[in-house]
Amino acid sequence: MTMLGRTAQNLFWLSRYVERAENMARLLEVGYRMSLTSRREGGASEHLVSMMQAAEVDEAFASKDRVADVDTVANFMMFDPDNFSSVYSCLLAARTNARSVRTAITSDMWESINSAWLEFSQIKPRDVRGAKLLGLLEWVKDIGHQFRGALLGTILRDDGFAFLQAGNFIERADNTARILDMKYYVLLPRAKMVGGDLDIQQWTLILRAASAHRSYRHVYHDRYKAHNIADFLILRPEMPRSLIFCAKYIEDNLATLSQFYGQKQSCDEAASQLRSMVDGTDMDTIFTYGLHEFLTEFIARNNRVSDTLSESYNFY
Amino acid sequence: MAENPPFDEMYNPDGSVREPYRALAQWLEEQPDKALTLMQSDAEAIFRKLGITFAVYGSAEGTEKVIPFDVIPRIIAAQEWRRLSKGIEQRVKALNAFLYDIYHRQEILKAGRIPDKLILQNEAFCPEMMGLEPARGIYAHIIGVDIVRVGPDAFYVLEDNLRTPSGVSYMLEDREAMMILAPDLFQRQKVAPVENYPENLRRTLESVAPANASASPNIVVLTPGIYNSAYFEHSFLADQMGATLCEGPDLFVDGGKVYMRTTTGPERVDVIYRRIDDDYLDPLTFNPGSMLGVPGLFDAYRAGNVTLVNAPGTGIADDKAVYTYVPEIIEFYLGEKALLQNVPTYNCTDEEQRNWVLSNIGDLVVKEVHGSGGYGMMVGPTSTKAMHAEFRKKIEARPDNYIVQPTLALSTCPTYVNAGIAPRHVDLRPYVLIGDEVRITPGGLTRVALKKGSLVVNSSQGGGTKDTWVLED
Amino acid sequence: MRISIEHQLSVTPPAGTVHAVLQVMLTPINGPSQSVDSWSVEMPGIGNAARFADAYGNSVHLVNQARPEGTLLVTVRGEVTTTDRHGVLGRVSGEPVAALYKRVTALTRPPVTLYGKFRSSKDNRIDILHALMARVGETLGVADAGEQSQTQMSADGAQSQSQGTASGQTARPPASAADLAHAFIGSCRALDIPARYVTGYLAPGGPEAEDKLTGFHAWAEAFDDRLGWIGFDPTLQLCPTDRHVRLAAGLDGLTTTPLRIVPAGDGVAMQEAVVSIA
Repeated sequence: MTMLGRTAQNLFWLSRYVERAENMARLLEVGYRMSLTSRREGGASEHLVSMMQAAEVDEAFASKDRVADVDTVANFMMFDPDNFSSVYSCLLAARTNARSVRTAITSDMWESINSAWLEFSQIKPRDVRGAKLLGLLEWVKDIGHQFRGALLGTILRDDGFAFLQAGNFIERADNTARILDMKYYVLLPRAKMVGGDLDIQQWTLILRAASAHRSYRHVYHDRYKAHNIADFLILRPEMPRSLIFCAKYIEDNLATLSQFYGQKQSCDEAASQLRSMVDGTDMDTIFTYGLHEFLTEFIARNNRVSDTLSESYNFY
Repeated sequence: MAENPPFDEMYNPDGSVREPYRALAQWLEEQPDKALTLMQSDAEAIFRKLGITFAVYGSAEGTEKVIPFDVIPRIIAAQEWRRLSKGIEQRVKALNAFLYDIYHRQEILKAGRIPDKLILQNEAFCPEMMGLEPARGIYAHIIGVDIVRVGPDAFYVLEDNLRTPSGVSYMLEDREAMMILAPDLFQRQKVAPVENYPENLRRTLESVAPANASASPNIVVLTPGIYNSAYFEHSFLADQMGATLCEGPDLFVDGGKVYMRTTTGPERVDVIYRRIDDDYLDPLTFNPGSMLGVPGLFDAYRAGNVTLVNAPGTGIADDKAVYTYVPEIIEFYLGEKALLQNVPTYNCTDEEQRNWVLSNIGDLVVKEVHGSGGYGMMVGPTSTKAMHAEFRKKIEARPDNYIVQPTLALSTCPTYVNAGIAPRHVDLRPYVLIGDEVRITPGGLTRVALKKGSLVVNSSQGGGTKDTWVLED
Repeated sequence: MRISIEHQLSVTPPAGTVHAVLQVMLTPINGPSQSVDSWSVEMPGIGNAARFADAYGNSVHLVNQARPEGTLLVTVRGEVTTTDRHGVLGRVSGEPVAALYKRVTALTRPPVTLYGKFRSSKDNRIDILHALMARVGETLGVADAGEQSQTQMSADGAQSQSQGTASGQTARPPASAADLAHAFIGSCRALDIPARYVTGYLAPGGPEAEDKLTGFHAWAEAFDDRLGWIGFDPTLQLCPTDRHVRLAAGLDGLTTTPLRIVPAGDGVAMQEAVVSIA
């Protein structure tokens, strides 16, 4: 009995949405912290807007003529059903996908996503401010951890697992690339080798958004430097949110799939093209190519993996 | 309302315990204080964990309820069950013979045993089924017969469900929960197993695969999708019997055969256990607006390339107006007297009966002929005078649209309630599978009205379920 | 009489359709009044079609087309030899029981004023049926010939005749062959007489007024316990002759729709059928 194309699609998106919910929470946390520490007039709002740009929801936000203050943005990112990437929308979409494939996931996975949704849907947006907001954002990240834990601990390592993992890491690669692209200019090499306060603040933002501000120290034993930060999030194979880690993981998973089904597919080629961008290169080469151009190309190739995967395995 | 107290399945009127309940009574006595309270809360946790829910219509996204489960099982003696299951088998055989006949030669109509208008003009009659030869001549493969008990030997059939009877997942999960909650109780007596229902369902479905299917037929469960109130059951059954759970868009018809879209391309489908109503099965033949169905599915069925379970058009056999003729149907096709009684039903088109009904409406149950799920129904003794008047008018205006029955004193079983253990009214839905043979799962789903004195067992109106035990000799 | 027929229909599925499924009921079968000498249905996907008999005994093709592009053309061609049996077809083995055709459908509910006066008639059934056919013609008004060539079917398969350049003599548009057949059938059923809807082709060769109706056509058949099925053509006010070629029979125009498609799009367009005497 072969898996339905729709089931594969549901599994893929289930994982993508869980990952996205977590990333949205992380981005909001960064935006929130930055807005608190901003001393300039209008600075808070700018941070929130650039955070929404990274999440690619800035246009949806602007379309309704809203003021980018902390409460409005937090509400928009957390609870707005019209924002397709809000935590609300992501958790609902994750649960809907999970419900459609209840027979293809384990009861622990179902439990984890179902109870997360049931709890989240009880929260009244008005009650979530200040410290409560940070607490809630932690909780959203925990949902991701719990779900992945249930997944890794209970599911069969078959085609379903590969679709779940592919969704998870395609979403993560996209997220990391976007965070980098949002602030790529502060990472560019400059004549002045020491970053000012402003740069340090921006770098912290980038690292925090990738949950990498502490692990950075473990890897580099050094103060924050633009070159290192870019290297860490793009080329470090031990960093689980770096582009190279994600790209290799995606390629491996798709290889597992083509082995499982006994046939190579166009998505295998797309995944290898994605990986080739970050494999066997260094930051100097990438800076020469142009960091922004590089990230744009990476995001496009990542999308191509997602599209060809849909075609190769009959999502519809 | 009945004058006598209702029949209690556990205690005789003198307070002694009826034979099948002996072991249970002793077990209950041995339980320390609060044991049942603990069991009841454990049960709720188990059900939540198992994820057995039903969606509540009209409520917000994600609100799914757990049907209340009562920890005290209902017990049926072996010889009682033998009698019941014989009656059920007789009934489902006759109903299938009836379906074959009315979709072919219509001998029963020619013989004048049933008025032809009642069938031919009936909404539930499906003319598209005429002349079709279903595998093994079976139309209704899965039937849930609703039975009520009013005395030690008095069982009545309330309704035959031949469309897509639901609830079997509760029967299975009730047993699962009971074995976790009170394993020692199972050691004291032999309880007939229900766990092989999914395996039997699979065998039944395989046995009715089309002649040109592969040796191990591909079986799918077709669901309207995650927003259907019985979605849990659909996914549960698919999971339990190793079938693929499909929605309409997962299937398509090519060259008159049905395929499902898999990750590796189209895969032929041989048997479809469909939980979609007839009208929505195929927009090409039935409701053109249906987004749930599969265009061309009925034609593929007609061409003999796939089996639909149950067949479309089986609803004619459980129509409330046809119900009154079931004893007649059994005699006509099997040449036997019906073993199970119908509930006496008054025919309002007959003037004498109608007049009697109109003057006694406060004691009677009125049901709309095409209503279901407790809608369009009035229970006389628990309704207001205004309701009585309203239904009098309705019956006078359209006497053929209603059937009227006496209010039955449903039997009671001891049930755990806030006040302790108290008798509550119950009914029974045994599940029957018809394929290469007739398989009746011992027991079935017992529904219990948790409100004191209530006769309404529907889960939407405060009903719960009980594990149902058939004892083995 | 040997009749040659050529008929083209076309349908355009909505843009972006992934999978179009069509039901084609455009194949005549042999019967007491006709034998099919040759017949072909040409359309994309016909080679892979499933063919089966429907509940009413009609020959049906189930055709599917993955990613259809633009308009799908259906062309039927063939020759049929007919005999004039004064409309009497008798009983045909393999057909569903006649009583089935007592079932009332949404399209077959004429007003009681149409058939009421026949309720207590003591005449024999054949006389009643003839009188009923006349009454249907008088009441609904027989079409002024020549304005029925273009037939449009709506998405759900129901047919309605488009109105031609009306002659302007009557305030009400003339009833179509489908309307007349439905009124006749509905009246029969109300009188407890089984009756069915028939689609087919009308060949030229009759009086001039009738020849204008040549092409795709619809009429009725009613059942008599003694004679079996008998045809009645309320449009022409006669029993079918050897100029009538039977295509399909059913409860009403909906069950005999010649071409259905899902997804529906803008419906089916029928060209004028070219019917001639070979």
